[in-house]
Amino acid sequence: MSLEERREPLLAGKLPREALVSLAVFAAGWEALAQAAPYLGIPPFAVPSFLKIAQSLATVTWLDVVVTLARVIVALIFSFVIGIAVATCMYFSDSVERHIRPMVRLLMAVPVVSWILFAVLWFRGVEFRIVFVLVVVCAPVFIVDTVDAMRDVPRDLRQMMRSFRPTTWQFFRKLMLPAIMPGIFTSWKITLSLAIRVVTIAELVGAVTGIGHKLSVAQELFSVAEVFAWTLVLVALLFLLESLLVRVEARVLRWRG
Amino acid sequence: MIAVEDLRKVFYQAATGQAVVAIGHLSLAIAPREMVAIVGQTGCGKSTLFDLLIGLEAPTEGRIVIDGKTPYGDFDAFRGKIATVFQQDRLMPWRSALDNVKLPLELLGVPETEQTERSLGWLKRLGLERFATAYPRELSGGMRQRVAIARAFVVQPTILLADEAFGHLDEVTAGELRDTFVTLARECGSTAILITHQLEEAIAVGDRIVVFGRSAALLADIRVAAWPPSEHASLREAIQATLQANRPDPRLARA
Repeated sequence: MSLEERREPLLAGKLPREALVSLAVFAAGWEALAQAAPYLGIPPFAVPSFLKIAQSLATVTWLDVVVTLARVIVALIFSFVIGIAVATCMYFSDSVERHIRPMVRLLMAVPVVSWILFAVLWFRGVEFRIVFVLVVVCAPVFIVDTVDAMRDVPRDLRQMMRSFRPTTWQFFRKLMLPAIMPGIFTSWKITLSLAIRVVTIAELVGAVTGIGHKLSVAQELFSVAEVFAWTLVLVALLFLLESLLVRVEARVLRWRG
Repeated sequence: MIAVEDLRKVFYQAATGQAVVAIGHLSLAIAPREMVAIVGQTGCGKSTLFDLLIGLEAPTEGRIVIDGKTPYGDFDAFRGKIATVFQQDRLMPWRSALDNVKLPLELLGVPETEQTERSLGWLKRLGLERFATAYPRELSGGMRQRVAIARAFVVQPTILLADEAFGHLDEVTAGELRDTFVTLARECGSTAILITHQLEEAIAVGDRIVVFGRSAALLADIRVAAWPPSEHASLREAIQATLQANRPDPRLARA
């Protein structure tokens, strides 16, 4: 299961011609609107030209990009470890599953904004708040996807494996882990895009570094060009990470052909 | 020595709680190195017996004793001693042919070099040395089943169990694999139990043919040697008649 529909990363392969055409049309329309804004009574800052956006892009501080990226990666690793551990317990114990699954569902239904407010009210450290919000949003996705993937491991394979009398650890490492690997990659793709979007919201509250913080500053300065530039960085970052993930996936799951 | 002593297995339907007797009071003894074919119609309890022999299911009553131990109760005592070939190859799709064959050796903790050496040796014996690095999806059904056979033999098991292992293959491939299986099992000195619904296969392979009726009722226990090859057609007909009537055919009396 997932929070959103499964989708293939945009940069997984070549961009289709249709995508390039629609992007070009959008860019041309935006530029035309930017040029015509003074004549249409639109404030110039509201629709900045690509030149201004490019100038803003040039001022992007890479330290903030790295900080945001680090937060996302650390939180995803924590979420993944928690997800695998909890899902394994749920898989091996029906009782644990019956107790935990409703709680996980409940966590998934809580809006991100509520988690941010809880984090602000409960914790002092900014970094801890951000990682907490990311983990509490992403870990349930890993838990549910992993336990479902485990349940989907064919009975035939489980029976074959058990006939060789493996230890519990061997059963998990030699059968379950490789069998759920496709599901784990799907979870990573989902949580990656989720985390990139959530981290910026979490960084709006209290953080003094990171892309979210920069977006907040740009909003206070009414600088649409900067908002646009940071948004472009964020989107590019997501596509880049997804692209890397797809490459790793293709390598690890090369047996699928 | 495999002793099936007054074995009974009952399943309960999850929805209704109704009891389904898969095996009702079965007793059977199989000598070491014997090759026994178990035949019966679909749903007669053959596969349940297979699961009980492997030790994946616990008997409801009675017991199975193999060399003084029970496969369910003394589960770990049979590591590397019982090997299985299933109807479907059940290869791990993410492992190459070689790595699939190596699996049981990995579980036994055999050193890596020995794993590779022994696994390659078995692939070679089954004519698959050129396909050692191929993934299961790159192999034909017959080749995959050969890999599964190599995986079973690589531990040189005391007991080999095959559940409809050749039934899904075409006649020629099934015949070849059956012959290979029998030859290798005899070379290894393994006790082999083949579960099948194909009478030709049972007659071709078994030293003994055990015929199951409903709920694994023992309808006939035939020593194939008592039937010269010229009478195999009659034997086949007699087993067929036994299965259809769900009671022993008089022609089987000599066994």
